[in-house]
Amino acid sequence: MAEGAKSSTGGGFQLKIRGPRDFFGGLALVAVAAIALWASSNLPGQQGFAFGPGTAPRIFAGLLMAIGVVVAASGLFVKGPPLERFALRGPAYVLVGILVFAATIRGIRFELASIPIHVPAFGMVASTFMAFMISIFGSTEFRWVESLIAAVAMTAFCVVLFVYLLGLPFQLWPMF
Amino acid sequence: MTDLLANLALGFSVAAAPYNIAFCLLGALVGTLVGVLPGIGTVATVAMLLPITFGLPPVGALIMLAGIYYGAQYGGSTTSILVNIPGEATSVVTCLDGHQMARKGRAGAALSIAALGSFFAGCVATVLVAALGAPLTSLALLFGPAEYFALMVLGLIFAVVLAKGSVLKAVAMIVLGLLLSMVGSDLETGAGRMTFDIAELSDGIGFTNVAMGLFGFAEIIRNLEMSAESREVVNAKISGLMPTRQDLVDSSGAIARGTILGSILGILPGGGAIVASFAAYTFEKRISKNPELFGHGAIQGVAAPEAANNAAAQTSFIPLLTLGIPPNAVMALMVGAMTIHGIVPGPQVMIKQPELFWGMIASMWLGNLMLVIINLPLVGVWVSLLRVPYRLLFPSIIVFCCIGIYSINNSPTDVLIAAVFGLVGYWLVKHDFEPAPLVLAFVLGPLMEENLRRAMLIARGDATVFLTRPISAGLILVATVLLIVAMLPMISKKRETVFVE
Repeated sequence: MAEGAKSSTGGGFQLKIRGPRDFFGGLALVAVAAIALWASSNLPGQQGFAFGPGTAPRIFAGLLMAIGVVVAASGLFVKGPPLERFALRGPAYVLVGILVFAATIRGIRFELASIPIHVPAFGMVASTFMAFMISIFGSTEFRWVESLIAAVAMTAFCVVLFVYLLGLPFQLWPMF
Repeated sequence: MTDLLANLALGFSVAAAPYNIAFCLLGALVGTLVGVLPGIGTVATVAMLLPITFGLPPVGALIMLAGIYYGAQYGGSTTSILVNIPGEATSVVTCLDGHQMARKGRAGAALSIAALGSFFAGCVATVLVAALGAPLTSLALLFGPAEYFALMVLGLIFAVVLAKGSVLKAVAMIVLGLLLSMVGSDLETGAGRMTFDIAELSDGIGFTNVAMGLFGFAEIIRNLEMSAESREVVNAKISGLMPTRQDLVDSSGAIARGTILGSILGILPGGGAIVASFAAYTFEKRISKNPELFGHGAIQGVAAPEAANNAAAQTSFIPLLTLGIPPNAVMALMVGAMTIHGIVPGPQVMIKQPELFWGMIASMWLGNLMLVIINLPLVGVWVSLLRVPYRLLFPSIIVFCCIGIYSINNSPTDVLIAAVFGLVGYWLVKHDFEPAPLVLAFVLGPLMEENLRRAMLIARGDATVFLTRPISAGLILVATVLLIVAMLPMISKKRETVFVE
């Protein structure tokens, strides 16, 4: 690492991001560490010989922050590969699929900007089917007919496996 | 010796109970089924299938999990040989010669040698686990909190040294994992730590959620970026499943050497199986009379790493069962499963629950046997599974994971946490951070903190206790030396070339 720094600073030192993956990765670590430090700031620390609940989180958050700084710094001095492009379609549909499953399997009530929102419990059959049909859009090779068949088959498979074979107490059908 | 035989007999009497054999068979079957799917590694497979074992009695659940583990590993090899997609790092080397053999129409021989080599390695390693279990357990009883802490530090450092890429980033992942493990109620005072007043976080972040997110969801999101062609299956016909006599002669030496190498490397904490397969491959190439054949379908190049890989997978149970310390991410999942069944892994298991301990060891051998029995006839089934297009496969995996996570606590929040970790895992991969050390640290975290706090309390706040107690000082010394060696840039460059090969 030291060699890389020397060779890249050979003629006139310029501060620019040479390894963006390391630089932004390091910054994110620092941010996480800062959040952890803030979140554990109200915990009592060392009392006599005994660690308090806050001691270990603070030690490791501090350590993480130090490492994050070094990683980010190495991103400034050592040439690294460019940032990879983040795909949007795949993660977005998959994430929405998972969220829909989580929201509908038992139903939830929450308040968004003081507007009460109530998602009824759809039960396992509907939730699984919906999650499948939403996340499948994450692929660019989507086709309607085979997707619907696969969704029905997978839902049936999961119901048989989890409810009938493993005997888990799931609610199968919608309950409003 | 008589003790060993008596213990093994006890173990087999447990493992050979009809329902336990059924669990083992079922585990190996579904493990292979999921492990065969391209792009899903051993860790992801075990994480995904973990929930289906929760309803079983403890012995049955662990036996089934062991079966899943071996099945997943063998499934990964099958994918490597047939499709040239390594499910994970351990089967990367199997791709090199295995896939070349498949392209020459010798996929059957490659698959059966991989199975036979794994089986032989499994037999040897099972005996080794049984033989080393008792002495190591008595050693473990000498360990106090300081020694335990030092041992876990050593284990984490091993994970760092063996991780791909930057050492510093691997250390960062370790620290992040430790930090995440501290979310939730404090061990001693019960104070909520870093919970942001979210009730669901007061019990801490569930381990399966983290593992499924980082390995299951993140893996899928990442695979979606690849084009369809790169996931295409070779439509080679599989003919002549049985290896020829010449194949057996050629590979027997390689299998024996791979077994020895793998058994030794597997005991080391931090991911022995990966190193074992690489080391075995390199070693075979080095001593071979025709090294130029390697990479073009040399059967030794399949036999040695497969044997080493399986031997290491097996001996990596030793630190888990005797010391209670998981040496790699899969074993970390095992700890998660044991904890859910109310078993605290460690030396007490062997003393208090001998039928569990020896039953599991015996089931390892049975699991390997099952693999040979089910995989050779079922190769055709696995191949047809590989023809299922990924666009239909990935939503199936997603909903399966969702239901699996939900089923653990009937908690939708767990599913959300896993989704968050899926995004985190995707981001980590994009920035060249490896998730495996994070997961290992996440599991070791509570144990480590507990022992650290206890050691400091006993030593009256004197931090030098870790250096004044001989065993602990020795472990810390080894860890420090390892870290320094790994940090030296020259060596780290060499490390990269080993993994690039």
